[in-house]
Amino acid sequence: MDEMISFQDVTKDYDTQTALRNITFSVDKGEMAFITGPSGSGKTTLLKLIYCAEKPDKGTISVAGFETAAIKESTVPALRRHIGIVFQDFRLLENKNVFENVAIALRIRGVSEREMKTRVYDSLKTVTLRHKSDAYPKSLSGGEQQRVVIARAIVAEPTVLLADEPTGNLDPDTAAGVMRTFKDVNAKGTTILIATHNRDLFRHTGRKVIKLDSGNLVGEELG
Amino acid sequence: MPVPYAFRLAAQSLFREKWINLLSILTIASGLLIISISLFTVYNIDTATKKLPEKFSLMLYFDDGIEKDKIDSVIDSLKKDSAVSTVKFISKDEAMREMKGMLKSSGSIFEGLDENPLPDSLEIRLKREDVSPAAVKKIADQALKIRGVHEVEYGEKFLSTLHHLKVGLKTIGMILIALISTGIIFVCYSTVKILFYRRKDEIETFKLLGATKAFIRTPFLIEGAFIGAAGGLVSLLGIAACYYVVLLKMSLTIPLFSVILFPSDLFLPLPLIGMFLGIAGAATALGRLRY
Repeated sequence: MDEMISFQDVTKDYDTQTALRNITFSVDKGEMAFITGPSGSGKTTLLKLIYCAEKPDKGTISVAGFETAAIKESTVPALRRHIGIVFQDFRLLENKNVFENVAIALRIRGVSEREMKTRVYDSLKTVTLRHKSDAYPKSLSGGEQQRVVIARAIVAEPTVLLADEPTGNLDPDTAAGVMRTFKDVNAKGTTILIATHNRDLFRHTGRKVIKLDSGNLVGEELG
Repeated sequence: MPVPYAFRLAAQSLFREKWINLLSILTIASGLLIISISLFTVYNIDTATKKLPEKFSLMLYFDDGIEKDKIDSVIDSLKKDSAVSTVKFISKDEAMREMKGMLKSSGSIFEGLDENPLPDSLEIRLKREDVSPAAVKKIADQALKIRGVHEVEYGEKFLSTLHHLKVGLKTIGMILIALISTGIIFVCYSTVKILFYRRKDEIETFKLLGATKAFIRTPFLIEGAFIGAAGGLVSLLGIAACYYVVLLKMSLTIPLFSVILFPSDLFLPLPLIGMFLGIAGAATALGRLRY
């Protein structure tokens, strides 16, 4: 099977601290995999390296056919338009309503207004927030905000979906619903990589789990 | 980026940051108003001084006893000069009659004058566009070389002063325009920089979602254009108000003000000039920002 995400001997340092050390792994096209480990193990850094918010100090990274270690600044937006991201800190636009927050992913991709409306409402329906489309982020609960972020990440039907602690603020039932959404998206062919410290998310799933600890890859197994 | 969405983002930002934007618009308007007032002054002085050359003439005096043929040939050769508008011959008798007419009340000074001491002369008027110190001097020098021409007289000092006044005013005007235009660009530059930093989180999110530089920059360029154009429009209204409300009303009591003209052609492009300066400021700011 084709590799969608591939890390080869990747190291990332922050000043004197090593965030990731000699990491090698791959995620195949259409696969849904998990990265797990305690806080500070390097999960978020690893995701940032994938969407080029950080550059590696050593090694090579390939994402959706882009060699990100040597990528030109002008090519980064094109790579990011292949990726949907569920940020741990949400990154919602406070002065825009739920509809606009989801629509922005499509506006950036130049989707027409008409098509955008349909896709945004479909996406909000998927995360059961269709009725909140006019609400502003501040008026939503943490769980609802997280679901808006998920809707924004999936609305453009990206090649790769990255999720950083996507169920961190959710109750077990809503978390299960979000995981079902990810499985549905994955079933349509999207490659998904989820960073989480919640073992319940990948236990008994049969999916690939990459284990990190203090910046080292300590194991790779099936959940 | 679909252009209407860029306009929507710009409009939202203009409204959200209305006080910063209003302050910038007023600053730009003040700068453009100073430029307008200088242009208004230069234009009116220029118009007023353009009328003076129509009354300007050179006087050419012949040697005493010069033949009529020689005078005619000088008149012919002067008329051939493209800068010369009219040449009028004033005979020594005519000159004496004119002088006596002017000095009627002091007629005694002509008593005992057996012979007419005044020479035959020519009054030469030049075309308005050719009345410059250099052109007049050239004609005077050429005329002096003709045999039989005794003297050429013209208001050298007056012409030179007038010329220097016009050049000086234009130079001051140009320097003022350059300085204030740079100032306006700097105001737009600073405004866009402030607006950019205030939206830094939003821009960072756009970038992480895959926005291109054009997507991020376009709303700021639109904002710069709007701020500049609005400043230009306010300055246009300001200069028009100065003229129609203040100067025209004053001309009712001070008639001298009624000769002052309002060159609307010169001022109508002010919003456009403001818009151009606004875009220049915004583009400079966006070019220097690291994001």
